[in-house]
Amino acid sequence: MHYPAWYVPFLTSPMLIAIIAILHVLVSHYAVGGGLFLAVETRYAYRTNNKEYLAYLKDHAWFFILVTVVYGAITGVGIWWTIGLASPLATETLIHTFVFGWAMEYVFFVLEIVSAFIFFYYWGRLDPKVHQAMAWIYAFSAWMSLVLITGITAFMLNPGAWPETKNFWLGFFNPQFVPQVIARTGGALLLSSLYVYLHASFRVKDATLRDLIASRSTLPALVGAVFVTLGGLGWYIFLPESAKAALAAASSLNIFMVLIFALTITVFVMLYLGPLRHPNWVSPGFALLLFGIGLTVFSAGEFVREAVRKPYIIYNVVYSNQILPEEVATLRERGYLEGGTWTSAWVRARYPNVTQSEQIDESKLLTLAEPDQRELGKVLFQYHCSSCHATTEGYSAVAQLLRGWTPEMIKNLVQNPEKFHFFMPPWAGTPEEAELLTKYLVSITPPRPGGMK
Amino acid sequence: MTMNPTELIGPPSPLGYPAPYWFLVTFKVLGFTLHMGPMHLWFAGILLAMILMKWGGTEAQRWSTRLMRQMPVIIALGINFGIVPLLFTQVAYYRVFYPATILMAWPWFSIIVLLTFAYYGVYIYVTGLKDGAKLTTLKRAAGWGSAILFVAISFLFSNGFSLMTHLSAWPQLWQETSVAGAPLGTALNTSDPTLWPRWLMMFGLALTTVAAYTVFDAGVFARRESAGYQRWAANFALKLHTVGLIWFAVMGLWYLSTWPADARDQMLSSPLIVLTALTALGPGLPWLLILSQRRQITQRLAMLTGLAQFGVLALNAISRQVLQNIELSRFLDVTAEPVNLQLSPLIVFLALFVIGLGVVVWMVGKVWQAERQPA
Repeated sequence: MHYPAWYVPFLTSPMLIAIIAILHVLVSHYAVGGGLFLAVETRYAYRTNNKEYLAYLKDHAWFFILVTVVYGAITGVGIWWTIGLASPLATETLIHTFVFGWAMEYVFFVLEIVSAFIFFYYWGRLDPKVHQAMAWIYAFSAWMSLVLITGITAFMLNPGAWPETKNFWLGFFNPQFVPQVIARTGGALLLSSLYVYLHASFRVKDATLRDLIASRSTLPALVGAVFVTLGGLGWYIFLPESAKAALAAASSLNIFMVLIFALTITVFVMLYLGPLRHPNWVSPGFALLLFGIGLTVFSAGEFVREAVRKPYIIYNVVYSNQILPEEVATLRERGYLEGGTWTSAWVRARYPNVTQSEQIDESKLLTLAEPDQRELGKVLFQYHCSSCHATTEGYSAVAQLLRGWTPEMIKNLVQNPEKFHFFMPPWAGTPEEAELLTKYLVSITPPRPGGMK
Repeated sequence: MTMNPTELIGPPSPLGYPAPYWFLVTFKVLGFTLHMGPMHLWFAGILLAMILMKWGGTEAQRWSTRLMRQMPVIIALGINFGIVPLLFTQVAYYRVFYPATILMAWPWFSIIVLLTFAYYGVYIYVTGLKDGAKLTTLKRAAGWGSAILFVAISFLFSNGFSLMTHLSAWPQLWQETSVAGAPLGTALNTSDPTLWPRWLMMFGLALTTVAAYTVFDAGVFARRESAGYQRWAANFALKLHTVGLIWFAVMGLWYLSTWPADARDQMLSSPLIVLTALTALGPGLPWLLILSQRRQITQRLAMLTGLAQFGVLALNAISRQVLQNIELSRFLDVTAEPVNLQLSPLIVFLALFVIGLGVVVWMVGKVWQAERQPA
């Protein structure tokens, strides 16, 4: 509303955030857990003077850098890129609230990059103690990055007392902070072990060394799985009531939760039977399967985490359609088209006959020709609804959702979306604008499917 | 239909700036200065490295190999340093940054994809430079691909940041590329008269940075290289810097001629004329330092050359910032927003910044020691 709404046909622009975010977390957790793995295991290899293991760790460090420093870093920036395009008002709010949180994270990010490169490129050229110190600097910095970014992302789900106080620390140490830090730390440990199994199964030919790697990575994986479970429970306990309700109400989320539950048990069983009891089972096929299941659990978990926030992007602070809750009453009075920076400019430029003294005259909107009314209804849809709905085809396409509805039913929904579905933001326009949106929706709504009794 | 671009600027954030404007802009400019160094090395450096590897002599190929072997680290640092100006741009310039990038959302978004390919392309190329490895056709193609992608990325960046201040282009771009008022995000700011000279001027400056870095590398990192290489590097750097200077001057004059009249008046009259003159003449200092080393590069002068080039980049970044604010002042006063100072987070950040810097210095010190040890 304050910003132009980026129209991404079929997918909707916020879905791009979800895609990039999922692609990122699958690596960013490895960037944390893998760092700890390298620090702990390098220390072990030096202490036991295991040259073969050291050689493997160097090989793994190269893989680690290729995956995390390139892909991980770029997709991390990519999330930022995408949220600014798809949810600018929420991004504006987050940046103005947490710029110093991000700046702190940046300090650790610099430390990560520098220590990671020195750790790898100066392998064998540094004193072993200094070399290990580099690994520990990396591991600590990466974990601190996780902690700092989790404070901000957890804020979006439950900002605690921030809306009343606007206090940085109250926002950062929100009710979701500790559970999510525990869950993400566990996720980092678990996921990094899966990466290690995968890498070692392809790269290590010596069975003894492969067994050693498999068995040494199992404890962090199991500890990680326990952390994920505990953190997940905490996450659920500290969810806002609406998020818990969304979790129970949305069938797609039900399916994802069952999937997460079932696949997590599968991972536990595979870890126990495989690397823990029979390290020699960790073949490329086994490792790939375990890795694939692990990534699926993570992806589903991230999707659920994003989805339960509805109708907010930042709970009680910014609605998913880029409106601040405190703006709704004014917009209902003044009109959404007039209240929006870009919508008002559009109407003034295209329909000067409905403006008076540079203001949109709401009473004239319904005097426009029918095609113009539908066109303005489409403008309202783009700005008010397209954050969550495609039009006729695609993600949560509104035409498919309304198939067979009567105009009266549609109008009732337009005027009271939050009463039909609590996870929808409220209508933020005048009755005349509701009429325009209704006309547009009616024009794209297909009839009830034929052949039904 | 006519539209006043000022209508398209949304209201200020009710949260206000978390720190005074001067603090935000200082970090923005500092971050951009740090970002420019590595960015120049991939913008012009990779292209030169590819050309010299294909058509250059032995020493030229040696130079190309040296630069490309360092490139993965250079890129990582460049991306990293780029985060700072982007962060502070979003704090202080959000009201124009978000709309401009949304209007060209797909090209802007594509930077992430292009960068991923470009970065991996460099890694693929570098695997062919390892001892005993071979630069296969695929690896060479990856290197050329990266060089082209980095040039494309720089163009998209220039496009985004020039559109941020070129508000008068917004209404038309928006209306041409939107569906019911919602931008498709397919616009590009190619009609902006400042775009091409601005982008090309940056390329000229990038050539001078590559030249300065060649001297810095030869004097500091490449001391084990042969005397022949050292001589070649000095000669090459001088030629390259001279070409870069001429390019920078020509494009700079073109760029200046495209400025809006009020911006030109302010930048060319007291007191800003001093800044403009320093920015224009600044590249002469590293050129003189490179000239003085044309027979032999010394470690001390090489370090001074690097420092002088850093100063040139800093001047450029400051001038750009001043000009950006002048261009925007017709639509928006970015210094006028209220400040809700977040003092304790700011102090924690500054404390971490100092500690972090200390740790980096310690780590680099260890590397320096390792470098001093016999191979």
